[in-house]
Amino acid sequence: MKKYTIAALTLAVTAAGACKDSTVVQPLDAPIIESVSGKPLVRSSLQTLATGVLAQDRSGVVGTPTYLILAPVMGRDAIRLDTSEPRYVGETLATNPDPGSFAGGGGFAGFYTAIRAEQALLAALPTADPTAFSSAEIAATKGFIRTIEGLDYMRLIELRDTVGIPIQASDNETVSEVSCKATVLNYIAALLDSANSDLAGASATTKLPFVLPSGFTTFGRDYSVVSNIQKFNRAVKGKVDVYRAINRKSPQTARATDAIAELTFALGGAAPGAVPASQFAVGPYYKFVVGGSEATPNNISDSRLGLNQMVKDSILGTDTRVSKIISRSALSGQGLLFTHNTTCAGCTATAANQERPLGILRDEELVLLRAQAYIEAGNLAAATADLNSIHTAYGNPAYAVFTSKAQAIDALLYDQRYSLLMEGPQRWVALREYGRLNSTYLHKETATDPYNAAFPLSRAELNARGLTANPACVGVN
Amino acid sequence: MERRVRTTRSLVMSFMLLALFSTSAWAQTRRITGRVTEEGSSDPVPAATVTVVGTTLGGITDAQGRFTVPAPQGPATLRVRRIGYSPKTVNVAAGLSEVAISLTKDVLQLDRQVITGTATSVSSINAANAVAVVSGEQVNRVPAQTLDQALQGKISGAVITQNSGAPGGGTQIQLRGVSTVNAGFSPLYVVDGVPISNAAIPNGLNVITQSARASAGTNATSNQDQQVNRVADLNPNDIESIQVLKGPSASSIYGSRGTNGVILITTKQGRTGKTTLDITQRFGASFLSNTIPLKCINTVDDYLSFRGHTLTDTPARLAAHDADVAFFNERNSGECHDFQKELYGENPLGYQTVASLRGNAAGTNFFISGLASKDNGLAINDYKQEQALRINVGHQFGGRLNVKANSQLIHTLTQRGVSGNDNTQINPFSAMSVTPSFLDLRRRADGTFPIGADAANGSNFFQNADRIKTPENVYRLIGSLQGAYNFMSTERQTLDFTLTGGIDAFNDESKIISPADIYIEQVNANPGTLVVNEGNIVNANLGGTLAHRYTSSKLVATTSAGFGQSRRQSNLLTTIGRGVFPGVTSVGAAVQQFVLQNQDIAKDFGMFLQEELLLMNERLLLTGAINRERTSNNGDTDKFYSYPKASMSYRIPEIVPKVSELKVRLAFGKAGNQPTAGKYTFLTQLFDEGRGGLRASTVRGLSSIKPETATEVEGGFDVQAFNGRMTLSATQFRKTITDLLLTTSLAPSTGFTTQWINGGKIVNNGTEIELGLTPIQTGRIDWVSQTTFSRVKGKVTELPVPGFISGPGSFGSRFGNGFIEKGQSPSVIQAINGCTELSSTGTCPVANRVLTFVGDALPDFTMGFSNDVGVGPVRLSTLVDWRHGSKGVNLTNNYFDGGLLADEEKGLQRLADFAAGKAVYVESTAFVKLREVRLSYEMPNALVSRLFNGRAQGARIELSGRNLKTWTDYTGLDPEVSNFGNGALGRIQDVTPYPPSRTYYFSINTTF
Repeated sequence: MKKYTIAALTLAVTAAGACKDSTVVQPLDAPIIESVSGKPLVRSSLQTLATGVLAQDRSGVVGTPTYLILAPVMGRDAIRLDTSEPRYVGETLATNPDPGSFAGGGGFAGFYTAIRAEQALLAALPTADPTAFSSAEIAATKGFIRTIEGLDYMRLIELRDTVGIPIQASDNETVSEVSCKATVLNYIAALLDSANSDLAGASATTKLPFVLPSGFTTFGRDYSVVSNIQKFNRAVKGKVDVYRAINRKSPQTARATDAIAELTFALGGAAPGAVPASQFAVGPYYKFVVGGSEATPNNISDSRLGLNQMVKDSILGTDTRVSKIISRSALSGQGLLFTHNTTCAGCTATAANQERPLGILRDEELVLLRAQAYIEAGNLAAATADLNSIHTAYGNPAYAVFTSKAQAIDALLYDQRYSLLMEGPQRWVALREYGRLNSTYLHKETATDPYNAAFPLSRAELNARGLTANPACVGVN
Repeated sequence: MERRVRTTRSLVMSFMLLALFSTSAWAQTRRITGRVTEEGSSDPVPAATVTVVGTTLGGITDAQGRFTVPAPQGPATLRVRRIGYSPKTVNVAAGLSEVAISLTKDVLQLDRQVITGTATSVSSINAANAVAVVSGEQVNRVPAQTLDQALQGKISGAVITQNSGAPGGGTQIQLRGVSTVNAGFSPLYVVDGVPISNAAIPNGLNVITQSARASAGTNATSNQDQQVNRVADLNPNDIESIQVLKGPSASSIYGSRGTNGVILITTKQGRTGKTTLDITQRFGASFLSNTIPLKCINTVDDYLSFRGHTLTDTPARLAAHDADVAFFNERNSGECHDFQKELYGENPLGYQTVASLRGNAAGTNFFISGLASKDNGLAINDYKQEQALRINVGHQFGGRLNVKANSQLIHTLTQRGVSGNDNTQINPFSAMSVTPSFLDLRRRADGTFPIGADAANGSNFFQNADRIKTPENVYRLIGSLQGAYNFMSTERQTLDFTLTGGIDAFNDESKIISPADIYIEQVNANPGTLVVNEGNIVNANLGGTLAHRYTSSKLVATTSAGFGQSRRQSNLLTTIGRGVFPGVTSVGAAVQQFVLQNQDIAKDFGMFLQEELLLMNERLLLTGAINRERTSNNGDTDKFYSYPKASMSYRIPEIVPKVSELKVRLAFGKAGNQPTAGKYTFLTQLFDEGRGGLRASTVRGLSSIKPETATEVEGGFDVQAFNGRMTLSATQFRKTITDLLLTTSLAPSTGFTTQWINGGKIVNNGTEIELGLTPIQTGRIDWVSQTTFSRVKGKVTELPVPGFISGPGSFGSRFGNGFIEKGQSPSVIQAINGCTELSSTGTCPVANRVLTFVGDALPDFTMGFSNDVGVGPVRLSTLVDWRHGSKGVNLTNNYFDGGLLADEEKGLQRLADFAAGKAVYVESTAFVKLREVRLSYEMPNALVSRLFNGRAQGARIELSGRNLKTWTDYTGLDPEVSNFGNGALGRIQDVTPYPPSRTYYFSINTTF
């Protein structure tokens, strides 16, 4: 009997000992998501996450050609011709964009990856070590990151328009329904207002507890200080409110008044026409690095890129912004009805252009947005004043006070085109909302020019939903 | 945790109850003594097991073949067993206490112990699974550089393929078809109870070949590094026997590492009897066995035509023409060089010295062996060197405790040169594809080399072979310690506890040294490339088994239960230096440095319970077992997954004349394959103005990721007939693999784009037949013939994701690639073959190409024919390996089709067909190979005595050869080829490989 007891004990002890040795192993070569969530957040890890958010946000803009190149092609500002890649013309000016291609399906996943990164950072904030951060710093961080989140959603809906976009769920798995444009704009507005409340919880002089890329601090305004983050937040909100006001499907004219107030705040309280030209370049910027592990160049530095010939043909003789337009070898073929032989000064493939900073929402754009808001609010005098501050700054004679909304919009589209040339899809959005993205206002670029006003949901998104075409969106367009 | 401890405790309790229940008092005993000898020669048979049937009583014969066993009063039946002899049962009358027993040699290995658990085994006569057993003698008939090569053609159900002719290894064993798409694909190798690593560590060849340039960047290791799977380190000479558990029905005891089959290697142990010293000295050399027939280009016109510069009608064309004429005039050597024979014509003599000492001293069994070998490759600097030392000892402490310690220390040094895919013309064959044969590129008398013809970097393959060094040093320790304690041994019962601990630890240090002063380095911004890889692998295991055996005249019941624990860790550190001065081998001295590191730790824990019942006078065997296991690689590390098995075999009493044994068997089992990816959501590093940031990867982790599960049912029958002169074993199996590890696409709006999931199903149906014959068996002449046949057909029956190109790599569907699609074989090859409409120039526009399935990478069937004929002292053994119906992709042809082939028309036609959308590079890789031939001569005793002064017992000389002849329609160098090394799938790409060789050995074996 004793023997069996010994036998049993030996086995039991050894087995229990082996069993006690847990089979949990942490991966050693790369951090995992759990190494951030559920752990007290310290300054160094917040810095790492914030840098991850901003790098991904930048990558969303320049990681695919959709935002900075394809949308301006659809907006009649740009042309990109590449014999080995005809889809730059084919899916913009000849047929509809294909959800499965880089062209039609681009400008999508990158922004959602950024939004996931923003959500992950925000989810980690409550674990911040209270002795390492002040509550003001936490509030400032929350307000800043949610403002960037609003910015990313705004870009998504700029590109997708009435197709609608999903609002990302807080958990990692849920595939959200596709919300319609007005619904999304309302969501973004609420998000930005809530971010603004967070910022109000900090003092105006509170600094973010992490270092921002220099594009956010060295272009005339330091966006690591709460007072300036508030300006940035109101600037994005102002843009969203302008979009809500001019929404062709369901315009919310009252939002124009909100936009005027928000943009005026963002511009430091300047009255209509009172923003000096010296302030136009002030704002947050993306800076780019060529080569190395970072290798994120400004993607308008592209030898195959040109300007739509109308850009050169329409500019006033007096306009000094003509310096943005330079000659290039002719771009023709692929069914285009015209030959294009200009490009933008920053569009040639040079090392300097690859590193050329890109304005995210600089004051010149805010003035243009405020003019749009004044137009919608019916205050044409103020709109004229704002537009004149830009129009005259580039050597042009001042506009007389606009007598009609259409006249004001003509002037706005002119100055918006040249002030923001190749800085995003602003003109494409304006054309579509003002009902001008059609053959009445614009000539056909190809025989089959469809005047594309939106990109579809990407093929991967449709596949995951078991769909082959864009679903009907939910809510109001 | 508490729940698990309780499970263990109840397991132990049930054991004790079982043990107590069956306890009975010692019966009155007597002693039977006797002697066991060999039939015919009357030589003593030591180490034979003598058991009293119906009891647990027994003993082992000593050096003189004598034994003493206790036996119950009354008539008794003794069963005598010894590996290599047919078992014998002898009745001993009640009054008799002395018996003489003679055993006949078992040339067809009818009786072998087949391992059924971690501490249990059963005779092959009863075994319920088709377990392939290969003896050490069969493994070592003809020397092989690696163990896996030595097994080619010897196991039914195994497809064993070499990746190239480079020395030192790179061979894959695939058992019973495709078992996975993305998870581990190597069988589990277990040496003396200890699982060992078969890792293949890339050496960084990609840094100079840039074979994976597009995907992996310029400074990374790659699966195109022509790496060696490290089972190549094992010394085949130490092997007593190999058992191959081909599928889950046999391997379920190995749980989540059992899906791909298990190869159990038992090394030689010491034994009672006279101590023997065995020395074998071999000399051998390898010879290039196949070449690509290339065109002789030795006239200026031929050269201009090869270059395409025959026209002079424009200034540019005239300049190109004149430059070529000048080059020809300057460099024409006046003869036609066969570069393949010049480069691969080095045939230095290699050697293998094997010595072993085997015996017993002071109650300690010992087996001590040493190996020193150098096997040379075909080109200068290419070889495999190995030194290995093994010490296996065993000692019985008193009547209860038996301790065995096995250890092997191995050093291998391999240089395999440069071969396989490259994008820098460093590889000889890719450089040859641009080099006209009038050039003499060989080393000059002063040690310098002329510049090669490649326009980009002047690559001279003679210089590359001479100056680029690729040493890979492996220092490896494989050791195990096993203690077996007998708690109880009565007439009817035994209770033993076995504890086995093992370790397999090695350091793999490989270098790529490409000196700054060779031509190919001149084009680099920083000439001189150095790659230093440090791989450290440690596998540690601990297992305990409590085994209870109850024996009566009605049944033998073996109950075993135990646990197993393992920890596997690896740390691979790659440092790369560019701009290294010639002669310097420190990355620290480089102008630019790059570092890569890859670490992994895995821990497993499992428990098992097994019951084996031998009933009806040992005719019926019933087995049931369950193995429950958890591992750190699973999403839920606390969850135990169950791997049950059940089997039965029944030996039908003599029903047919001449048939001495007829057994039917049926077995079922489950095994797993651990997830290798997908558990975690990693954070991806991004940079913004040089500052590092992290965000969640777009690959979302699945916290419920679980092992792939393989379920197998196999059934068959084994026949012994004509007085043991014929054996036939036939098996049919169906292996179903579910919960495959696959990647699926996610909605990008979630912030994630892909995820690993478990899903899909592969079904493999197969047949295996083994036929053993001794057509002639007289005193002087004997002939043993063994034939194996196997076929397996796989099918993907469920696939929850869209079809996809299977790994580990391919060169696009114009050439051909593996593809996973529902309804197809998992090893199907997909290629563009056909064109809906040709263009006016006869080429196929991209939109008109027709993508189809063009064949299968795996053969329809394989057969092996082994024959061993002895006439007196002379023996001739041959092994023929036949593979039928497999296909591969021969990209090497594409390198030479532009006008360099001897049959130029054929090459040009192939290019034209290729442009027209035909899958011209997909070819049959079927072959018949004469794998092994051995002619041996056993020297007469008188001669031996004279030669060795009477000290030697015997001596044998042998002439042998490996891979002597290949019959195939394949137009490449060797149908056995894989540019991407080992992999579950996609081992079909032939890209400028190391050419195959035939190897000859002369051996002298002496036993003292």
